[in-house]
Amino acid sequence: MRLLLLPAVVVLAVFAAALGALFRWSVLEFIPGSLQTGGLTVANFRAVLAPQYLGAVRDTIVLSALTTVLTLVCAYPVAYALARASSRWVRSLILVLTLAPFFTGAIVRTYAWVLVLGNTVITWPVPMLFTERGVLVGLVHFSMPTMILILAAALSHIDPVYERAAASLGAPPWRVFRRVTLPLSMPGIVSGALIVFAWTLSAFPTPELLGGGKVKMSANVVKDLGLDSFNWPGAAAFAMLALALTLALLTVVGRVSSGRAT
Amino acid sequence: MTKAVVELRGCTRDYGAVRAVDALDLTVYEGEFLSLLGPSGCGKTTTLNLIAGFVPPTAGRIVIDGEDVTARPAHLRGLGVVFQSYALFPHLSIRENVAFGLRERRLPAAEIDRRVGEALELVRLERAGRQRPSELSGGMQQRVALARALVYRPRVLLLDEPLAALDKKLRESMRDELRGIQRTVGITTIFVTHDQAEALGLSDRIAVMNAGRIEQLGAPREIYAHPRTRFVADFIGASTVLRGRALAVDRVAVAGAQLRVAGVTLSAGTDVELAIRPERVRLASAPGDNVVDAHVDGLVYQGAQTELTARLADGQRVLVFVTEPSPVPLAAGHAVRLQLPADAFMLLGS
Amino acid sequence: MLRAAVVAMLLFMTLPTVVVLAVSFNPTAILSFPPSGFSLRWYENVVTYPQFQRAALNSVVVTAGAVLLALPVGTLAALALERGRLRARNVWASVLLSPLVVPGVAAGLGFLMLAAALGLLRSRALLIAAHVALVLPFVVRSVWVSVRNLDPALERAAASLGATPWRTFRRVTLPLLRPGLFAALLFAIVVSLNEFVVSLFISNRVTEILPVAMFTYVVNYTDPTIAALSSLFIVATFVVVWLADRYLDLGRVFLQH
Repeated sequence: MRLLLLPAVVVLAVFAAALGALFRWSVLEFIPGSLQTGGLTVANFRAVLAPQYLGAVRDTIVLSALTTVLTLVCAYPVAYALARASSRWVRSLILVLTLAPFFTGAIVRTYAWVLVLGNTVITWPVPMLFTERGVLVGLVHFSMPTMILILAAALSHIDPVYERAAASLGAPPWRVFRRVTLPLSMPGIVSGALIVFAWTLSAFPTPELLGGGKVKMSANVVKDLGLDSFNWPGAAAFAMLALALTLALLTVVGRVSSGRAT
Repeated sequence: MTKAVVELRGCTRDYGAVRAVDALDLTVYEGEFLSLLGPSGCGKTTTLNLIAGFVPPTAGRIVIDGEDVTARPAHLRGLGVVFQSYALFPHLSIRENVAFGLRERRLPAAEIDRRVGEALELVRLERAGRQRPSELSGGMQQRVALARALVYRPRVLLLDEPLAALDKKLRESMRDELRGIQRTVGITTIFVTHDQAEALGLSDRIAVMNAGRIEQLGAPREIYAHPRTRFVADFIGASTVLRGRALAVDRVAVAGAQLRVAGVTLSAGTDVELAIRPERVRLASAPGDNVVDAHVDGLVYQGAQTELTARLADGQRVLVFVTEPSPVPLAAGHAVRLQLPADAFMLLGS
Repeated sequence: MLRAAVVAMLLFMTLPTVVVLAVSFNPTAILSFPPSGFSLRWYENVVTYPQFQRAALNSVVVTAGAVLLALPVGTLAALALERGRLRARNVWASVLLSPLVVPGVAAGLGFLMLAAALGLLRSRALLIAAHVALVLPFVVRSVWVSVRNLDPALERAAASLGATPWRTFRRVTLPLLRPGLFAALLFAIVVSLNEFVVSLFISNRVTEILPVAMFTYVVNYTDPTIAALSSLFIVATFVVVWLADRYLDLGRVFLQH
């Protein structure tokens, strides 16, 4: 039976090799102007803390946090409607509208926002394209499907009889939500928030196209260093840190989900 | 004259093409224990949901304490509901569950504490306060659900098949406890069940429901002894339905024999359906008044009694409960004589 | 009130799509909305642009290769996870799903470095390998859900009726896995076709797949050609997702009632 895993292991070994290469480069000394490298060093990691990069790191964390909160607020009603939809038609409509953007791919979706935010559709009172506002909108839009699906799955596990029981005990609809539905959906909220946060930290196409070079998140910095400046060691160090942070966050998600599993 | 607490006037509820409740009229009086009894799909749970306000009626009105509450949402009806799955909030402790309704009514904390304590004492779960529902057994959860519904002294208590999930022994002890609590508190209670033994044992009145309508409404003894329709006769207790021809006001021809009937009036010359309870049929050792010949078709030994199925001369089958030990030896295919007492016959309508 | 919020959110999610579709028919190169007329020239441009043609072909080759490899590999892995009675099952599951966790740029950069080390900088093989790794978690998850819902009693029944393990697999297991396999196929194709970040790092103008070609175009030009190409993507995706919902009842795939 274990042999069935072998092909998958081979595939993942290749993947691991790529990450291994990444690690190797991150500890090699960077020689500017070439792809040659010097000896082992931690200088690359220290360089990450340089002021020009620290700004990007700060922006990344702030934007990711804002995205998470906004996405949560926007996604919850849709997720609730999806989980409690009584007609197959409504459920299909919401699912198709939620999943289709998910499947159209990053470039298409981001480009669409370039059009919308770029004064083509409406003239915005404040500039949206190539600003943090614009990137935020794009990031929220990007994260909506994921958050909706995670929340809807969590909500669909909550037996509607609890909401009926709360109503029979005298709680009006918003109190039912606050005292019963919301607490019971908390595990889903936490998972969704952490997953969206972790993924947004590594977001690339959205800030790349909507940021227009003015808004940089960590992934953009990695690309700049790797493909534009050819500072592979520096790019690798940055990427390793992003990877470590993402792993840490998702481990927390795993703990939370299994801890609260009933 | 006791006061009418709950009234359903011409209530109908449709689910698409399905009519779950059909122009139902029902009045429930102060302090009574009324059961809605029937098979699955008869509309009893839907009726409960209409009263509770979980679903709106397609037509008709619901009146509680003289007030038309048809348009009033569930959380403003002031009723107590015990659900089949108990629906105890998993994220709250037992005390918090029981206190839920009181908190919605904005009672002061000390008062809530006191009343929760009383309610838990009533159901003998004073020690379980801090635990979570998942830590309690089914029977205990059911008692908590009851305490939660009663603690704020609702006008009416609604119970949706609350004993269905319990095993037999537990069900019986809970049934007695439930009745005891209801009598102590004196609350008007509407109880939904498919178990006729439960309904017979608990209720002041039973509404036997079928296909969205009430077929018969009355006290348990009344319904058992005088079922008005074939459905009620079949659903409550066991019975045999015999077809025959009325010869006179008090005589009927069944399976070639002439039988006397008492307590019902027949129209001579009409075809009639008469039901008889299997425990009323006696085995006779000799021919006599109201004795018919039959052959043993089937025997099912049940310990305290044997369920005998006998076939009459015209092919009709009669179910007989023979208390063990049997007065007459029984074997498949043998001939037996059945005595059908004149006053045991029940005349059925539609 | 809930309904209003939901409608608003659904509009928010759909707005960009509508704009893209509208702009794609614009007769002039200046982006305007609503469009000043109706023209298919940008669609023409898409179809005739040689770089797009080459990239489209690359996409088909890479995706086909990735899917053909990932489906059997992932299915075997899912079967092993559910039925294999592995001691460290959760660890294995995490390992199999791990590519999802790695940030795209990290994986992309890593593959680039690996390619450099192996001298495979211009090869499509590594690109396909990367796609297989990225697509595998989706395949494993989809098939695993189906395997989990498979009642082992059915396979035992087949055995009791005389079917060999292989025949049981072919006649009972595989057909019952069909929804999961179909979902896996769908996910795999969509994820691979749209894969951008990793592919950006390890492809060049010869080997680049469609999303990368689109990105390059967007960065350099501002005419609505990309709007036309995006519209094609959008319409195709909507149709596929709608069909998937009709055939699979996606509600059951994502939610549990």
